[in-house]
Amino acid sequence: MRSDYAVVGKRIPKLDAPDKVTGRTTYADDLKMSGLLAGAIKRSPYPHARILSVDASAAEAVPGVYAVVHAGNVTQRPFGYGHDNIPLKDRVVRCVGDEVAAVAAVDAATAQSALDLISVEYELLPAVDDPFEALQPGAPRIHDELDIEGNVSMEWNFQTGDLAEAERRSAVIVSGSYSSPQAAPAPIETHVVIAGFDADGHLEVISPVHMVFMYRKELADCLGLDWRRVTVRQPPVGGSFGGKIDIDAHDFIAVMLARAAGRPVKLAMSREEEFTGTRTRQPIHFRLRTGAAADGTLQFRHAEVVSDNGAYNAWGSHALLVAMNTVTSMYRVGTSRLAAKVVYTNKNYGGSVRGFGNPQATFAVEQQMEELADALGMDPMDLRLKNANRPGDVTPQGLEITSCGLSECLETVRRKSGWDQRRGRMRSQHRGLGAAAYVHVGGGARIYGSDGCGAMIKIDDSGRVALISGSSELGQGSETALAMIVAETLGVPLEAVSVSHDDTDVKPWDVGVHASRTTFVAGNAARMAAAKARDELLEAAAEVLDRPARSLTIRDGVISVPGEPTATLRYEKAVRRRLLREGSSIIMTSAFYDPPTQRQDENHIGNISASYGFGAHVAEVEVDPDTGMVRVLGLWAAHDVGRAINPMSCEGQIEGGAVMGVGLALSEELPVEDGRFPAPNLHDYGMPTAMDAPPIDVTLIETADELGPFGAKGIGEGGIILPPAAIANAVADAVGVRPRSYPIRPWRLRRWIETGERSHVDKHPHPVPDENAR
Amino acid sequence: MNGYYRPGSVREAVAFLAGNPEAVVIAGGTDLVIDRRLGRADPQAPLVDVTGIDELRGVRWDGDELHLGATATVREIESDPAVIVRASALAEAARVLGSVQIRNMATLGGNLCTASPAAELAPPLMVHDAVAAIQGPNGERRQAVADFATGPRTTILGTGEILTNVRLRAPALSGSCYLRQTVRWAMDLAGVGVAAWVLTDRTGREAAVQEARVALGAVAPTAVLVPGLESLLAGAPPTTERLGAVSAAASAACEPISDTRGTAEHRRHVAGVLAARALSIAHARAAGLWPGGLAPVNGRAPAAASSGARA
Ligand SMILES: Cc1cc2nc3c(=O)[nH]c(=O)nc-3n(C[C@H](O)[C@H](O)[C@H](O)COP(=O)(O)OP(=O)(O)OC[C@H]3O[C@@H](n4cnc5c(N)ncnc54)[C@H](O)[C@@H]3O)c2cc1C
Repeated sequence: MRSDYAVVGKRIPKLDAPDKVTGRTTYADDLKMSGLLAGAIKRSPYPHARILSVDASAAEAVPGVYAVVHAGNVTQRPFGYGHDNIPLKDRVVRCVGDEVAAVAAVDAATAQSALDLISVEYELLPAVDDPFEALQPGAPRIHDELDIEGNVSMEWNFQTGDLAEAERRSAVIVSGSYSSPQAAPAPIETHVVIAGFDADGHLEVISPVHMVFMYRKELADCLGLDWRRVTVRQPPVGGSFGGKIDIDAHDFIAVMLARAAGRPVKLAMSREEEFTGTRTRQPIHFRLRTGAAADGTLQFRHAEVVSDNGAYNAWGSHALLVAMNTVTSMYRVGTSRLAAKVVYTNKNYGGSVRGFGNPQATFAVEQQMEELADALGMDPMDLRLKNANRPGDVTPQGLEITSCGLSECLETVRRKSGWDQRRGRMRSQHRGLGAAAYVHVGGGARIYGSDGCGAMIKIDDSGRVALISGSSELGQGSETALAMIVAETLGVPLEAVSVSHDDTDVKPWDVGVHASRTTFVAGNAARMAAAKARDELLEAAAEVLDRPARSLTIRDGVISVPGEPTATLRYEKAVRRRLLREGSSIIMTSAFYDPPTQRQDENHIGNISASYGFGAHVAEVEVDPDTGMVRVLGLWAAHDVGRAINPMSCEGQIEGGAVMGVGLALSEELPVEDGRFPAPNLHDYGMPTAMDAPPIDVTLIETADELGPFGAKGIGEGGIILPPAAIANAVADAVGVRPRSYPIRPWRLRRWIETGERSHVDKHPHPVPDENAR
Repeated sequence: MNGYYRPGSVREAVAFLAGNPEAVVIAGGTDLVIDRRLGRADPQAPLVDVTGIDELRGVRWDGDELHLGATATVREIESDPAVIVRASALAEAARVLGSVQIRNMATLGGNLCTASPAAELAPPLMVHDAVAAIQGPNGERRQAVADFATGPRTTILGTGEILTNVRLRAPALSGSCYLRQTVRWAMDLAGVGVAAWVLTDRTGREAAVQEARVALGAVAPTAVLVPGLESLLAGAPPTTERLGAVSAAASAACEPISDTRGTAEHRRHVAGVLAARALSIAHARAAGLWPGGLAPVNGRAPAAASSGARA
């Protein structure tokens, strides 16, 4: 692999970090503007109720109140995936936190006091917060306006191969149930939206969302606006972790308030609202079976899945798309079957949180791999390596595996963790090792007509190179990676490059930041635009140096002719030579990159991503069996990133993801009591602190993907996928019981230890046919 | 906010409170500010900031008597070298409360006066038989810390009264320990908190228990002392058998609820587990068998360093 790059592969601190850590960054909530009003939302206190009446007259009379909106005085259309939601609920509220009315006033205190004067009359309806109860005949119907059975909003079914035959070939079948909780992305910056119309009726919305073009379209569709007259500006994002992908009811409500008030309005979510009124990670329940032949060759995987998606379908309903990839395509399984139901419940609903269904699926699949290995008497690493995906594989769903460092990842964490010497040998100290590995989209994910992203480059007379990208920076480091890609491609110093991506009027189209796609897709677009700019630069220089453009090279901003040490020109001079003359021109290029992928068909077949990322973790834990407390002593992580554009931010993504994964595994949970979260705050929620973060040893495996920019693949989500599975496996190694759900909070583990929760193994499920009798 | 007053002496504070019965004392504000925001305390009530009063400050030793001012910060308590050695339970409770930032603000007085069932400092002070001094319109009175909280978020403080200090004795041949079970390893409230204190008759392995106390936090409406330990322990070293009896007594003393930090059943069980561990560590300290330093937060022997991952 090439390694003579000037910028790519260097450890570069994030370009936006100094401003962020010194408090200089201006987030949406910091923006000041004249006439800005404070908005507040009246939310349902009930998980399920009919709205009988809304009386806002007292609120409207409060001095300082500019607008009060509710379903009775606005025009709005359904929104969301499947259009089952409406910004201000008109008939029924379906979860605690559902938006019923809103106020805009001179300040937050006035808005709040007006809110308290809005009286809403409800008729309580029976509510259901358990998806299995919601599936029962006779369960309350959560969307009685929809023609659906058993509150099932969506089904995902896939099957390939002959399951009965695969079962017959299996010497061992392991089966079990695995569940995950409702969790929250919990970024430091809560959701904030500012909306305002200019005198001409043009709408500007300022919001830290990161699917801005879809967001704009949804705003316009729901509110009946001309979307050419909507601009979305995206200030720096104070973390998202996927929570800011979806458009939420409050986004529309801000616009409604601004329209009614004739002034710009800000809605800033409190921490409680962030938990109750913005999107969460959906609990997913798996019943999984895996079968293998006596030599460990996987024969089949069979999953029955229930996704507890809450009151409405946002993008969260599609977490099954990723979960399905893991069930069918993690390792060479051949025969696989998945039947999943997405079920409505009267709870805050699911969104597209980092990992998007994969931590949940991997928790099931990878525990079962170790259960299977134990039942076969094989080392789990050997079992994994035997079945590992390899370059050239096409999985049952049509995923085309190209670059693939899975085996190398597994071997790396095996060696570094001392797996062969230590796994299964530390039970007397209640310590154990557990592993897990993943497959995840790494080259975009075509979930929409286009999976593309645009990029524009202009080089001005100072030599400043501006990349205007369709993508967004949300703390993941893409801005730095994109700048590095441009600097490398152009051959200019990194300091010369700026990245902007904050305004739909200026930036070219992009699907948005999700699916670990930005470095791959936006990176390729940036690279293509930069390559064109480089050609133009060299042409400009060719005129000055009087040499053919193709004979020139550029590095560190110096254009030169190989073998002629005196024939050099600084690149900014070339730019100025073009500009400062009659018939002048500037260097300005653009490109649009859409990866060569397919949208999966109705049978869920199609190569959804241009490349796939792989990784493996080993976790070491120590369990206190008498209190149920688990301490993670170490985590070894190896990830196939294709090519580390910026190793420092790759490690940062992996470490940050892994710590979030430790939180999922051990502590993060939004329990529901009587339809509500009793503790929607950071003190109770259980996000890990520095004291909970284990030492993390990261190895970057570089497989130089053919299509990735400089060989890079996505890594934004990889880190979070594995800790729940790896830690559960480590707990099983330490104390011999099987965690069936996470978070592995102390009282649950102690109960499993007391009840001796074990793997369900069926050895020789079928009488082995006598070969000679055939 | 309708007023903020920062008196320079206890007398001024008490006088102000007498004239303004709706006023509320604020020290570090780490409980009160949140309570006002959540509406658990009146957000409009005038504040009397007691952190400017010199006589309420500090951690001081007078022979084997420890004097803790009401505004001694949790950080000061955990950092006092003599507290670590002689009132180890208090140091062990202080070092797990919140985070360093919180502990720099949080005070002993605030912790006791909020009277959360999970208040970290109550169990260690109770096993050390600490006495609280209270100043009010009718002068000073003293009350055992064990009797200070009367229920969740209620105390014996009457209108216009403030807590001024807490005192305890740490005689030779005594040792104590505080352990807890949490969901996270830091920045979490106790699911169960257990303090133990032991007085022995000599040093060494044969040291017999003369007096012993165990107090439990987060398993009842207030922190509670486990009754009847004397008869279980006095006159002999704490053998495994005796510790088993202590566990049972501790579990029996719980009246826990189930919430996000544990089920009632689990809390009852863990109170027993931690009581035995805390008691045996307290005994080791009293008997001079403890190697020094604070115990792991759940009392389990620390794991040897992990062999691979970088620290
Ligand atoms: C993030 C966070 C984490 C926390 N973690 C823990 C934890 O792990 N364990 C734990 O026990 N607590 C914890 N707390 C709670 C809190 O920090 C402690 O209870 C602290 O000791 C309170 O002290 P303060 O000085 O801040 O009290 P304040 O908030 O100033 O006062 C608390 C109450 O006591 C009254 N008061 C204060 N001083 C006096 C006095 N001298 N006389 C009469 N009344 C008085 C006030 O009127 C008020 O009602 C945490 C708090 C936060 C915000």
